[in-house]
Amino acid sequence: MKKKSVFKKFIYSQKAAPYVFIAPFIITFLVFFAYSIVSMIIMSFQKVAGPNTAFVGFDNYKIVKNAVFIKSLKNSIFYTIVSCMLMIPIPMVLAVMLNSKHMRAKATFRSVLFIPALTSIVVAGVVFRLMFGELDNSFMNQVLGLFGKEPLIWLRKPATAWTAMFFLCLWRWTGVNMMYYLSGLQQIPGDLYESASIDGATFMQQLRYITIPLLKPTTIYVLTISIFGGMAMFSESYILFNGNKSPNNIGTTLVGFLYRLGLEQNNLGIASAIGVIFLLIVLGINFIQLRINGTMGKGGDK
Amino acid sequence: MKKLVAGTLASVMVLGTALSVSAAEDASTQGKNTFVEGATEMDFWTFQELHVAFWTTMADVWNEQNPDRAINLTVTSGESQPMHSKLLIACQSGDGAPDMADVEIGYYGSFLKDGYLLPINEAVEPYKDDIVLSRVSMYGDTEGNYYGVDFHLGETVTYYNMDIMNEAGVDPAEIVTWDDYAEAGRKVLEATGKPMFAVETNDLFLPQAMLLEKGGQYVDEEGNPNLVTQEHADVIDFIRGLLNEGVCEIAPGGGVHKEEWYGHLNSGDVASVTMPLWYMGRFTDYCSDLKGKIAIYPIPVWNEGDVRAVLQGGTGTSVIKGTENEQLAKDFLAFAKLSKEGCTYEWDVLGFDPIRTELWEDPAITENKDNKFLSFFTTNPFDVLKANGTDIIAPNIAGAYSAVYGSLVSTTYANAFEISVDQDAMELLQSEQDSVIY
Amino acid sequence: MTKKSRIISVCLVLFFLVITVITLLPLALLAVSSLRPGSDLMRYGLNFSVDWANANLNEYKMLFSGANPYFTWYRNSLIVTVVQVALALFLSACVGYGFAMYDFKGKNIAFICVLLVMMVPTEVILLPLYRLIVNMKLINTMWGIILPYLVVPMLIFFFRQYLSGIPKDFLDAARVDGCSEYGIFVKIMMPLMKPSFAAMGIYQGMQSWNNFLWPMIVTNDINKITLPVGLQSLISPYGNNYDILIAGSCFAIIPILILFICFQRYFIEGMTAGGVKG
Repeated sequence: MKKKSVFKKFIYSQKAAPYVFIAPFIITFLVFFAYSIVSMIIMSFQKVAGPNTAFVGFDNYKIVKNAVFIKSLKNSIFYTIVSCMLMIPIPMVLAVMLNSKHMRAKATFRSVLFIPALTSIVVAGVVFRLMFGELDNSFMNQVLGLFGKEPLIWLRKPATAWTAMFFLCLWRWTGVNMMYYLSGLQQIPGDLYESASIDGATFMQQLRYITIPLLKPTTIYVLTISIFGGMAMFSESYILFNGNKSPNNIGTTLVGFLYRLGLEQNNLGIASAIGVIFLLIVLGINFIQLRINGTMGKGGDK
Repeated sequence: MKKLVAGTLASVMVLGTALSVSAAEDASTQGKNTFVEGATEMDFWTFQELHVAFWTTMADVWNEQNPDRAINLTVTSGESQPMHSKLLIACQSGDGAPDMADVEIGYYGSFLKDGYLLPINEAVEPYKDDIVLSRVSMYGDTEGNYYGVDFHLGETVTYYNMDIMNEAGVDPAEIVTWDDYAEAGRKVLEATGKPMFAVETNDLFLPQAMLLEKGGQYVDEEGNPNLVTQEHADVIDFIRGLLNEGVCEIAPGGGVHKEEWYGHLNSGDVASVTMPLWYMGRFTDYCSDLKGKIAIYPIPVWNEGDVRAVLQGGTGTSVIKGTENEQLAKDFLAFAKLSKEGCTYEWDVLGFDPIRTELWEDPAITENKDNKFLSFFTTNPFDVLKANGTDIIAPNIAGAYSAVYGSLVSTTYANAFEISVDQDAMELLQSEQDSVIY
Repeated sequence: MTKKSRIISVCLVLFFLVITVITLLPLALLAVSSLRPGSDLMRYGLNFSVDWANANLNEYKMLFSGANPYFTWYRNSLIVTVVQVALALFLSACVGYGFAMYDFKGKNIAFICVLLVMMVPTEVILLPLYRLIVNMKLINTMWGIILPYLVVPMLIFFFRQYLSGIPKDFLDAARVDGCSEYGIFVKIMMPLMKPSFAAMGIYQGMQSWNNFLWPMIVTNDINKITLPVGLQSLISPYGNNYDILIAGSCFAIIPILILFICFQRYFIEGMTAGGVKG
């Protein structure tokens, strides 16, 4: 009894309290995150086959020379770069326009643009897959028909398939990114613009010298989430191509390849090696960002 | 106002939940047979909901005939890919695996190569003379052991749209070789402007059938990838030639299980398709406009007199290593899949061509006017089975087949027929083989 | 001047009307298609050419007939969402509070760990995590879906940020009054955090409701999967069930849409919370 109360007293002490508070995180971190990373690294040096598991050195890392690996890596990088190029300027411009004092019914438009973000990727992906179907009467082909163009086989040719992917990406995330920019814009003091226009600055000059520089924190944040979202992209491709097999791997991403090897072909060793490579890439990007921005890039860390 | 909104919202949620409770009981994807007191409990995993009823029904029949060896079977159905992964992991850790499971052909090699399945030769022995044995032995190894039994024969046939055939003045009964087929295709193209057939870029049925007819395989006898063969290159060149002429097209959607394709097929925009007999179900399900217009004939061959029977696709049901009821599981498996009762059920309900040959001759089955498959097609599929006999070629699915399959359906045929159409076939196959991870 | 600004106004509004139409178009297509039989979709493609005379609610009738597990998935999703949101909010609030209000040994290292989890996409550790869940025998259970995401770094971050605005003297005053450390959190802090709970609840709710990849991997029993996974399972290599897929997709958006219309402010706050409050 006495022992228990000592323990209780300790738990209730101001010294122990913070540890109790952060315990849920520490436990899940150790059990799920740290354990997984460690076991992934170990598996990446093994041929995993039940009781016959054996260490094979760096054999699994020979995958970097595999054509499909290189393709999926390229795909992931390409998707990331283009989606950043689209998902930063477009929402920014829309936010500036929406924020304009000439604009009416701001709240309504803002909400409407946000609606796509509410839909599940499965629903969005299915609609887009059917919209970009290759039948003459599929919606996008009808649209092309209005302009007198021939119907396209959208999802089986690289250029058009990527177009569909980026449409999907734009559709789902423009509203959210615009929202980030809107709240960024609200933090820019209005008198800055007033004094600028008194000084005779045109709208474009204001944009260039006030708006864009002052939106930098927002841009960094949006860039960060776009990079990580882009590198980890998988579900979009999975749904759009109706499974993890796009024609000639046009839509196979790094995660898709990892998924295919690990879960579909039971090649856990090689899949883990891909995971480790992926981890290194992600940490590398973080490191570069850290150097460039001097912060962790993710909001609150100051 | 706010309260009103919240109230509405709450009732929507409650309604949803209430509905869900009532619906939950109906969703019968975990099936059990009629409970028998004191029977042996067994677990079964499948990835196809339709198979659940088959297994529970067969367990009931088994219990009736073998009261001293009764089974209480619990069949769990899940999505294909996760089920196979879960099964593999359970096999690897030696814990949590069911007694038996349905394993799809594309995954079979992975299970076979690490020895997670039990041979069933003895259990199959009593049925041996009544069935097409090559359908069973294909789920086997080089030592003559076999491990799985399929639901169907998977005999590959050619389905012809007779409206188009008549318009072009072609009689499919006279088509014997692929050259005849190509010639007929040219007539069809000229008369109707429609392609004779389509090739898939995301699956392998047509090239695989052609390759098997030539005596080729995707993996060699040791199970290593074997994509780079002259036979394979010839198949690709043959199809490429017809693609150039317009006699062949790329299947809309890239495959014959895509919605674009079903629409295309159902509208009568393509003259024929070569697929296994289990594809009949796709006609009845998705192509209702074609009822009474489709005729089934044996597939063409390369040279007159060649074997016209090729098996494709499928699911090998197997007994998993580690089961406590080895013998019972094997016997039940063989009974369910190979007995008359089992094969009849498979044909009647699932539309699967029977492995058991006596059914081909049974008028109660072959002449059954109420059968939705027989009444859909203008020719009788059993005539094809009878004509082709039991000397049938099956693909070698051992070793690297799973890995090779992954490349074939994602890159190889897409490259061969759509993307790198000018690249030399042998060269292309070599670079494809290099990217296979095995 | 006023004339010019009026013109700008009209142009802007027109421009946004166009954007609105484009934004709503896919959803409108979905809604319209749910009134047609699934076989139509296959044959004629997804478009607006609807034969209104034949439009009907059969798809929805099929959905509600109970002959398919749709509402089982719906219920699973609801349960997962509610449990996950409740637990994630409470636990992440605890952790955020711990970081914001105390100075303790190892705080920096622990915080770096939070950052690490935030930086590494879960997709990276998919396979080992999956094996772990298998070994824990949590496959096909709600806990398998929820446990790895129990404490959400993003929420920790947000709560830490939110609480750092509260002066620490406040705590000392409560301590003097004889309140225990945990009492302070439950009785004083949690009520103070209510607005942030709303925003984060919405944020987490959306994540849970729409989560796809992880639930797809850890569940395979058709009675245990969540709605997005269930919808995806209708599109199989061996036949697509568009009837239920399209109507079911529409019906999956509705609850979230209602919530959004009612609690817009919190949605937007929740979604943008991570962004600019740095």
